[in-house]
Amino acid sequence: MIEPSYPETPHDYADEGEELARLEAAMDVAPRGAAVVSLIAVGLLMVGWLGMYFLVFLPRGTVG
Amino acid sequence: MAISERAILKSELRWALVVAGIVAVILGAILFAALTMHINPPSNREFADPKTLHTSDEFTEANLGTRVEADGKVVARMIATQFNFVPDCIVVPAGREVTLRFTTPDVIHGILVAGTNVNTMIVPGYVAQVHTRFTRTGDLLMPCHEYCGLGHSQMVATVRVVPPAQFRPGPDGRMACGQRRPA
Repeated sequence: MIEPSYPETPHDYADEGEELARLEAAMDVAPRGAAVVSLIAVGLLMVGWLGMYFLVFLPRGTVG
Repeated sequence: MAISERAILKSELRWALVVAGIVAVILGAILFAALTMHINPPSNREFADPKTLHTSDEFTEANLGTRVEADGKVVARMIATQFNFVPDCIVVPAGREVTLRFTTPDVIHGILVAGTNVNTMIVPGYVAQVHTRFTRTGDLLMPCHEYCGLGHSQMVATVRVVPPAQFRPGPDGRMACGQRRPA
């Protein structure tokens, strides 16, 4: 079995200070990842909307 | 913690700007289509008594179908009933503004013309009117898209879009499907 290269529980850290420092470092990066995922999701939604609008809706012609 | 209140506020403001940008793009696209291409939701407030349609001036049987009015406008009139359209086929010219007028004596119907943006409800007591310009020639299906009873799925009409050269109404300004006139 391959041993994990990170401590399995917070108590495995040498001290509480190190644990907090790693947690802070992770929390610093997490919002950036969330922002990237959100931007990709919203971007795909907009590409879909604009695609339907310009490639399907507008070519179907005038109405009113 | 690494994330301060200030950082959260900054992130929320950024997202608010993204959302405002998206709303601006969508509104801009809608305004662009409305102002430059005349694509608007059909809107008409006009009444027609369902009990006297057959004796009305406009929706008597003889007046249904396509007609070129005195002012040169092409107007097609149709009645939607359970479960067919009268007439079940109309001829319209391509590349020319056409006005479609509908009403019904019974229940709520709805129509769309396949492959176009023509789409409206037909409500008893009202005249539904749509202005459009067909660009492609051919037979387009026009089904009822509002469930109107057991025969709803059989309720379908045809919009026959012909090239302008083949749109030759008679002296009375009328033209019907299947009608052939010498060039």
